[in-house]
Amino acid sequence: MQEYKKIFITKDEVVPTAKRMREAGVPLAMIHGFINKEGKGNVSYEYEVGTGIESYTVDGENSLPSIESIYDLGAQWAEREISELMPITFEGLDTSKRLFMPEDIGENKGQILVTPMKELINQRFPGKEAGK
Amino acid sequence: MSYIVPIGPYHPALEEPVHAKLYTEGEEIKDAEVFIGYNHRGIEKLATQKNYIQTLVMVERVCGICSHSHAWTYAMALEGIAGMEVPKRGEYIRVITEELERLHSHYLWIGIALHIIGHDSLSMHTWDDREAIMDVLEELSGNRVNYGIVTIGGARRDIDDVKKMHILEMLDKIEKSMNRLTEILLNDKTVALRTQGVGVLTTEDALRIGAVGPQARASNVCVDVRKDAPYAHYEDFDFEKVSYPTCDVFSRVVIRVLENYESIKIIRQALAMLPDGKINLGTKIPKIPEGEYMCRHEAPRGQLCYKVVSNGGEFNERVSIHVPTFKNAPTVPTMLKGNSVADAGLIIASIDPCFSCMDR
Repeated sequence: MQEYKKIFITKDEVVPTAKRMREAGVPLAMIHGFINKEGKGNVSYEYEVGTGIESYTVDGENSLPSIESIYDLGAQWAEREISELMPITFEGLDTSKRLFMPEDIGENKGQILVTPMKELINQRFPGKEAGK
Repeated sequence: MSYIVPIGPYHPALEEPVHAKLYTEGEEIKDAEVFIGYNHRGIEKLATQKNYIQTLVMVERVCGICSHSHAWTYAMALEGIAGMEVPKRGEYIRVITEELERLHSHYLWIGIALHIIGHDSLSMHTWDDREAIMDVLEELSGNRVNYGIVTIGGARRDIDDVKKMHILEMLDKIEKSMNRLTEILLNDKTVALRTQGVGVLTTEDALRIGAVGPQARASNVCVDVRKDAPYAHYEDFDFEKVSYPTCDVFSRVVIRVLENYESIKIIRQALAMLPDGKINLGTKIPKIPEGEYMCRHEAPRGQLCYKVVSNGGEFNERVSIHVPTFKNAPTVPTMLKGNSVADAGLIIASIDPCFSCMDR
């Protein structure tokens, strides 16, 4: 079984951790984001360390520094996806163009993971209902 | 003269929708942008409203080609949370199905690539061989796609001696025709003219962007989860990590052809060493304790990651899926630069994209 290790870090440790990993040649497997029970962001940076995964997690922050300058497009796409799908922003990330969601949904905040379907449909097709 | 050439979201060279903008000077592509999301079905959101068995069925439908990879990786994540030890026979059956899936996926891609470069006769021959693999998968599972082989804690269907014999007969047949196919792919002038030196992704760029799977290995980045972070007893099998140094579309053709031989080797070994015993831990909805786990899996297109968070209840707290195409698609603009517009379709297709996977 692949080893999985979770490590909590603060917002200020995101960039130094990414730099340390990049310098050690550790690949960034993925950045996962979701909203916790208090409605705050929970973002984990999953690094492939040896045969396992080290998951560096920041809990309770809705704004984090971007690590695009460290992990390039591998980080940029993941950050853009998260920022379009849920109310989490990445400081320094260019979000002037949508990667994932249509330009006209939710005024640059897709939030599809936290917005009721009815509201999303109403934003896109005012007056319409699902299935009709 | 400068132009912006839109490709997609619906385009004859694309099997699924994606949108690219090519910024050109005459015929030459100077820059490109890719936009995704046209296949977004909200599967991660839906997973939070379904129990574990329902989710297993649903994630198998994220993709029609690597369906088994999705179901298996989701099951691996749950087994990781619960600390389940899957019976070895069940793991071997998963491996056999996975390698059959990899074979038909690579055959599909080779056929599509040949179609795009205009070598339709060879494309049809390739897909003729692929049918033999699909027939075996249908015999194993009852389906051509969405095999339903995986359950949480093992496999749902066993492989008896008759099925074993049919798989081995099929492997002998396709290996013979693959030798001929390999010879043509590596030496044919049409294939060489359309693929050599086209869509180059250097080793440095592949590492910088974080390419995975055959796309990385074709840029001489030797990564393969089956070897680097073995799971499901892959360490029992003797097979090679394949890489190739030319970093172009030709390299991506070579990689997939050579990987087919490795998959055949793995299947033969798994069938020969298939252990006796149970194939699963039971098919009832399992109790998954509170916890989280993320695992990596080598799907046909590269590293597939599933992260599952459980609150100990009936439903998933969170399922996050990250697929190889999401890692490989950002390499497309880099590969397109400096090439002609006529090669754009082939270059985009050369990552073996699955937008259905990527958008979820």
